[in-house]
Amino acid sequence: MPRRAFALRFASMAWACSLVSRTAVVIVVAAGWATVPPASAQDDGQWTRPGKDFAATRYSGLAGITAANVAGLRPVWNFSTGVLGGHEGQPLVVNRTMYVVTPYPNVLYAFDLSREDYPLKWKYRPPVDPASPGIACCDAVNRGATYADGRIVYNLLDGHTVAVDAATGRELWKTKVADLARGETITMAPLVIGTRVIVGPSGGEYGIHGRVDALDLATGRIVWTGRNTGPDSMVLARPATFRPFYDRGAGPDQAQRTWPGDTWRRGGAPVWGWLSYDPTLDLLYYGTGNPGPYNADQRPGDNKWTSSVLARRPGDGSLVWAYQFTPNDNWDYDANAENILVDLTIKGQMRRVLVHFDKNGFGYTIDRATGELLVAEPYVLVNWAKGVDLATGRPVVDSTKLTGASRGKIERICPSLEGGKSPASPAAYSPRTGLFYLSTVNLCMNWTSAQAIYIPGTPYVGATIPYTPGPGGYLGAFIAWDAASGRRVWEIREKFPLWSGSLVTAGDVVFYGTLDGWFKAADARTGKPLWKFKVGSGVVGAPISFTGADGKQYLAVYAGIGGDWALLSGDIVSNDPSDLRPPADFAPDLARYTSQGGTVWVFAR
Amino acid sequence: MGLRPVAALLLVAAACRQPEGVTRSSRAAIRYDQHVVAGTRTPAGDTLTNPVAGSAEAAAQGEKLFGAMNCDGCHGGGATGFAAPSLVDGRWRYGGADAALFHSVFYGRPRGMPAYGGVVSEVSIWQLVTYLRSQPLPPTVPTQSWR
Repeated sequence: MPRRAFALRFASMAWACSLVSRTAVVIVVAAGWATVPPASAQDDGQWTRPGKDFAATRYSGLAGITAANVAGLRPVWNFSTGVLGGHEGQPLVVNRTMYVVTPYPNVLYAFDLSREDYPLKWKYRPPVDPASPGIACCDAVNRGATYADGRIVYNLLDGHTVAVDAATGRELWKTKVADLARGETITMAPLVIGTRVIVGPSGGEYGIHGRVDALDLATGRIVWTGRNTGPDSMVLARPATFRPFYDRGAGPDQAQRTWPGDTWRRGGAPVWGWLSYDPTLDLLYYGTGNPGPYNADQRPGDNKWTSSVLARRPGDGSLVWAYQFTPNDNWDYDANAENILVDLTIKGQMRRVLVHFDKNGFGYTIDRATGELLVAEPYVLVNWAKGVDLATGRPVVDSTKLTGASRGKIERICPSLEGGKSPASPAAYSPRTGLFYLSTVNLCMNWTSAQAIYIPGTPYVGATIPYTPGPGGYLGAFIAWDAASGRRVWEIREKFPLWSGSLVTAGDVVFYGTLDGWFKAADARTGKPLWKFKVGSGVVGAPISFTGADGKQYLAVYAGIGGDWALLSGDIVSNDPSDLRPPADFAPDLARYTSQGGTVWVFAR
Repeated sequence: MGLRPVAALLLVAAACRQPEGVTRSSRAAIRYDQHVVAGTRTPAGDTLTNPVAGSAEAAAQGEKLFGAMNCDGCHGGGATGFAAPSLVDGRWRYGGADAALFHSVFYGRPRGMPAYGGVVSEVSIWQLVTYLRSQPLPPTVPTQSWR
């Protein structure tokens, strides 16, 4: 079709232009890189990065709130953000100031925690393209900001990264890093490593060409761009540095040759999850999303590096290793989940690992220096694969669960594409208990694929995927996981799917929220429920902890249901008379329990 | 319901007018029922007319286009709603008359409806409009989501 040829020609021209300009920049700037010193002294009174620390542990060393006294926790302050939609992510607390980023239109609030009533210091309201919410697949969410060197850095849904003076709210720079016209938005929280700001686009349902960009913290200039698919020159897989553990014999340009033709150019691999960094190894870790389109018949091959974890040098972007969780992903099993960096004793040996709870239902423990798979066990019901072969790193796929258009309707695939755990709801790790804590989803799905046509800026999917409840009479569970052995230690079952991030503290208390609007605490060692409070709207954000001006331990969490649940949970959107939704058929009617809203809550004893 | 007389009018207009597939240049329709006019007087201007209104063949083509142009990616299979609202429940954010629907598809709308003008032909947009208008509406607009 001539229409399609036009679209592709346009896309490749835009890409070629950006490559030329970006390559030139790399040569100039890469020389100025010095690695970040380790240390990052544990500053438990503050919360300066999305996942608390470079390792993304979401562990607070504060111990004022304990299993023995958490029952006395009470709300001390709240603030309506004035924005509806999924309040994912978390506030930051830096220098006695709390920073809150809302969903579109991405307002940034700064509250003075040193004064009574936490008055607003300033409010930053960037112009954000009103077309952007409709280009975001799954609600106009934002997963938060990060702090570095006196700046708050975060992403706008319409494809810009901004740096704002943390003291005054003045915009310091704004850089366009994604293009709405090509289906790209940004929802992820950036990470600053030394002088590099790392960001990546969303749009796995729009045929984007996934990547990460590194921006200069001082100026916002793009320093390097590492694509997730395509030839080695674009992926930055340099012969001297690229050493994947399992695919060494695969030869050059794997991320191009595992795709038919040039489909890698619109093959997805978005970066909408969380970043982590190991200062000792000087490696940045991030997961990539699904290949596009969903219809797997249109892209035979492994489709590297979609649904993968990539390890790069933050200085120049060089790819050091990569591992693909779900080769030729047939199920929208994005691998955008956080990669939590911890040291664990595995079979008697201390190993530097990353732990990753994939949408595909397996919990992975991987040597983070090499990419060697150490443990891969299902943390929820999994039936698309019988297991993961540790020798080859590949899943043992049940071929009756493959889904291309030629296969017709495939019934009862578990977990659903919501994931055994959503990457939107990051896990926490306590060095005191040695356990990981995570929100899980107990849903399965039926899948029918169809041919998808690529039209830039429109959905590129090709599948119909209704959900069904998983077995057991519950739709979510909060679980504790031992990543050294790959087993579940305890669980708390919930009526609805769980979609909140986790927080665990040195008081051995773990915190999470529910879609029906409860903020809950449990004993981190036993899983005994200890406390709960109804925060008004469902929780899809991640709790944090900090020290108040009075020296006491505080907690903060967003209420504000949304994300995928804006699409799936029936009539929770009530502010639009043209939009009324029937209840979902796979879940109790969530709209009877909650509706949209956006509130920041603060709790203390 | 205000939409029925409008639809009937357009049907008549289409029948009286030009052969199928011929349309005038795509200026915005400035008269449609979602605009509030000062002093209750509507400004003079063009009204777009659906040349294939009521045609079952056009509706069938429109249904195919609804999948092929990825409309179902946001509005869901059968236009029953997903990331974007349902187009078959009788509730309209930007107006439900043929001309308003044409405008929504041709120029796009804020909150993410892409502009398809120039991507698909005007005839194709009218076929999409005809498909949506051919879907059975609830006899009254529902006011409860409960079952």
